This record gives sequence, C-alpha cells and structure tokens, in this order.
Amino acid sequence: MRTKEITGKTVLWIFLLAFAFVTLIPVVITILGSFKTNMELTSGATFLPGKWQFSNYGEAWDKANFSTYTLNSLIVSLSTVAGTLLVASMAAYVVDRMDFFGKKIYIGIQSFTMFVAVGAVVLRPQFDLMVKLHLHSSLWGVILILISAHASIFFILLSFMKGIPRELDEAARIDGSSLGRTFWTIILPLLGPGLGVGALFTFRGAWNEYLLPLVFTMTKPELQTLTVGLANLKYGISAASQTHYMMAGACLSILPILVAYVFANKSFMQMTAGSLKG
Amino acid sequence: MNKTKNAAFAYSYLLPSAILTLVLGIYPIAWAFRYMFYNYKGYGAARFTGLDNFTRIMHDTQFWDSVVNTFVYAGGKLLLSIPLSLLLAAILNRRIKGRQLLRAVFFMPTVISTAVMAVVFFTIFNSYNGILNQFLIKFNMSSSGIDWLGPKHAMLTVILVAVWGAVGNYMLLFLAGLQNIPEDVYESSSLDGANKIQQFRFITLPMLGPVLQMVIMLAIINALKGYESIMVLTEGGPAGKTEVMFLYLYKLFFPVGGSSASTQVQEFGYGSAVAFVSALIVGMISVIYFYASRRMNRID
Repeated sequence: MRTKEITGKTVLWIFLLAFAFVTLIPVVITILGSFKTNMELTSGATFLPGKWQFSNYGEAWDKANFSTYTLNSLIVSLSTVAGTLLVASMAAYVVDRMDFFGKKIYIGIQSFTMFVAVGAVVLRPQFDLMVKLHLHSSLWGVILILISAHASIFFILLSFMKGIPRELDEAARIDGSSLGRTFWTIILPLLGPGLGVGALFTFRGAWNEYLLPLVFTMTKPELQTLTVGLANLKYGISAASQTHYMMAGACLSILPILVAYVFANKSFMQMTAGSLKG
Repeated sequence: MNKTKNAAFAYSYLLPSAILTLVLGIYPIAWAFRYMFYNYKGYGAARFTGLDNFTRIMHDTQFWDSVVNTFVYAGGKLLLSIPLSLLLAAILNRRIKGRQLLRAVFFMPTVISTAVMAVVFFTIFNSYNGILNQFLIKFNMSSSGIDWLGPKHAMLTVILVAVWGAVGNYMLLFLAGLQNIPEDVYESSSLDGANKIQQFRFITLPMLGPVLQMVIMLAIINALKGYESIMVLTEGGPAGKTEVMFLYLYKLFFPVGGSSASTQVQEFGYGSAVAFVSALIVGMISVIYFYASRRMNRID
C-alpha cells in the first residue's frame, strides 16, 4: 500500500513536471534564443547562449524597426484600453441605473455581436468604411474597430456596476448632483476593480491583435505593430539570416504581457473562471 | 419633464457604444449578407447573380478540401486538449504542493499572442534548420531531422501548436466547474471505499456534466474558426495540406498574404457566400453537438 502510494505520487509529479516543461520550453527557447548569434541558432543545438549577445536587442530595435513597431503597439493598445473603458462604462452605468425605451434591444445587440464573430468577413466592409472615413492609412481605424468590439467588457462592467449600492446615487441626487456628475465623481472611482480587469483584458486583446493591423498596414509598413512586424520577418527574403532578430522581437512582444500577467495573475484567473458562471 | 431629461441623458451616454456597435459590428454583417448574391470583385459595379455563388461553392473542391482539413484540425485539437485539460484540472483541484504556481504556468500560453507564438514555433519546427531538428540530429535521435512542416506532418504540427495554446484555457474553465462540487461528496464516497479513479468516473465526470458540455462547445467553435496561427505557421501549405475553412475565406478577401502572393483575385461576392456557408457549417455542428450532448446537462 505504501509503495503503491509513492509510485502514484511519482507518476503524478513526472506528468505535471513534463507538461510544465512542454508549456514553458517554447518561451524559454525564445528568451535564450534572443541572446544567441544567428549562427548558433540555426546550426547548433546549444541550450544556453555561448556568448550572450545583448546587442541583438539594439540591432532589432534599430535595424529591424522594432522601435517603431513597439511605439505603434503601445499607441494601439493604450488608446483601445482608454476608449473601450470609457464607452463601455458609460453604457453600463445608464443600462444598470436607468430605465429607457430600447434598453432590451441594446442588450440584445451587444450579446449578438459577442456570439456572432465572423472574423475575416467583417474585416473587408470595416476596411472599406475606414477608406471612406480616410482612416485606412492610420492606426485610428484599427483602434476604432477594436473599441467597437467592447461587448464583453460592457457585460463585465455591468456586473461590477450591480455591486455598487444604489443608495449612493440617491444620496448624491438629494445633495443636488446631476446624473453625469454622480457617474464621474462617485460611481467611476468605485468601479476601479472592474475597470482594472477590463483594462487587463482589453490590453491583452489589443496588444496581441494580428489580423486587423495586418490588413490596415499592408501598404504602410511604418504603421505595423509588433505582431505584424514580427510575422513579416518570417516572410522576409532573407528570413533564414534573421532568426536572432525574430527571437529578440518575439521577446519584446511577449515580455510586457507576461509581466502584466504575473502581476495580475490573480484577477486574470478569477475573471476567466468567473466568466463561466455568466 | 424630468423623465424626458433623464431619457436624454441615458441616450447620450449610450450613444458612443451604440454607434460603434451598429456601424462597425452590425453593418459589416449585413454587408456580407447582401453581397453573397452578387458578383463583386471589389472594383467596378456589383452584378446581381442570384444563387450563382452557391452553385460555384458546390463545385469548389478547394473549399471542400479546406472543410475536410478543418474537421481534421478541430478533431485532433479537441481529442488532445480536452482530456489533457480535464486531467490537469482534476489534479490541480486537489491540495497538492505548488498548485497555484502550476496553474499559472499552464495558463501562461493563453496570454501570449498566437501570431507571435506561431513565429516562434516556426523557428522551432522549421524543417531545414529548425531548432528541434538540430537538436534531434545532434543527439542522434534522427539522422536528417523530421520534415515537421512538410506535407506529411504539417497538420500534426499545426494541431500540436494549437493544443499548446488551448490546454491552459480549458483547464481553468474546468477548475471553475470543479470548485462547485462539494467536498463532502468525495469524503463520503471514500468512506464507502471508492478509489480515486472510481471517484473521477462516478462523481467528478457526472457532476461536471454541464460545464463539460459548455467547454466542449466553446472548444468546437474555436477550433472550427481558428486560423491565425496556421496562417503564420504554414500559410495553409504545403500544397493546401493545412488550409482550413476560415483561412481559405480570408484569402478570398485579402489575397496578398505574406511573401507567397497567391494568384487568387479578390472575390468579395463569392467570399461572402463562402462565409455564409462556413458559418452555417459551424452553426450546424454546434446544434448537432448540442442535441447529442444534452444528456451531459442532466446531473443525476
């Protein structure tokens, strides 16, 4: 009985550690690979870099334009986060606190857009719309489209909004505060945790977005984001000679989101788990 | 008077969200719905052709090949990722050492961009000078390496990459479901002499039924619609071996992808029809699955 238990535990831990290894190894290879020479990457099977090439990052930053890509990624992500939170929290406030004609229709449309995601199809009409608005050769088109997909954040904020007592609204109203002022000075600060989670999710989505920026920067390489610029390195004529740039670039795009994840691990986990319960 | 003022306030705060959703969410769907009856190549006038696009789909072997590939891809991804994530969730639901850390590790791939990871996996699996093959050769596990992205193995490689990205996500959803099963059910069953495997079979699985049903549903839809990582990893190649439904669709709307500028031309009208049929296929599979799995929803 005792030996059986020990064998069971050993098998269990071998399985867990093996799977953890498989999960981590691509990221570890990327991080270590970003410090190797190109020769080392494509010809040898060394695990650690022979000599740490910190210059890879500087070169990728300058020569492979990663400074531009990073700036573009930041512009897209931060604008999308700000826009999404603003638009979704204002809508969540009136939907939760007020009664008006068309509320049910609005909620219906929001849940419809969440479940009917048609991917590549809607991209084309979206692009044409942006051409008409003269926004197709700037990142604002991408940002607007990303903000328009705020349905899930709206529902998250709505559930947080329900947790803020209505007595506060009442008290503010008696004190003579207008509805708008109540929202900006009382409700919004209390919505902090919800906004934090929403920001995290939106940032992850926008930072990792590939198709939208790809389509919008096809004729304007200087507008490419990290994901697009990186994937394009793969297609490059001399792709084989740029593997070390690819690794350094991959690190530049993975690390910020990984750091955010480590710090916000708990709310990440809770929210993803919570989304199951509806 | 006060009521109209309140309504005006409500609408003004709703307006930005409503406009964005209608213009960039609903209108594009209507657009695609209209053009599926037209011959429209993105320039010049659109010509109404009735159901011609749908007749063309019937004879489009490239499309139906991609449908078959989609099923192979989705099936493979599900068969590997669902049992694996369920097993991991069941283990990490117990009070074992370091479970928080392990959960965080397994969930990590979910926060990284699929496109970026596809680039990394390309350098790992690349047949000619990929990291994995260099490793296999160096340690004499293979004489010339394996053609991971070649016609024979490309689909398997693409599936493995997808599983890598998906397991953590489903594990977390399963964990959430497991937390709703009361602890004392396990305690009383172990007093009755049930072992861990029996407990899993007769308590965990049935009680997890509704969650299992929903997670598999999500997984099916995701697998049928996913194409981003395939697009970066293989572009649907070699020779269409990993071309899936939605990637084929994407190429009809945006023919120039990467370096291998395909000879295809833009086909908005036909693309819309293909999109409709593809969405229909996904919808049908979901409905079939939903009815076939109704039994899981019943806890007894």
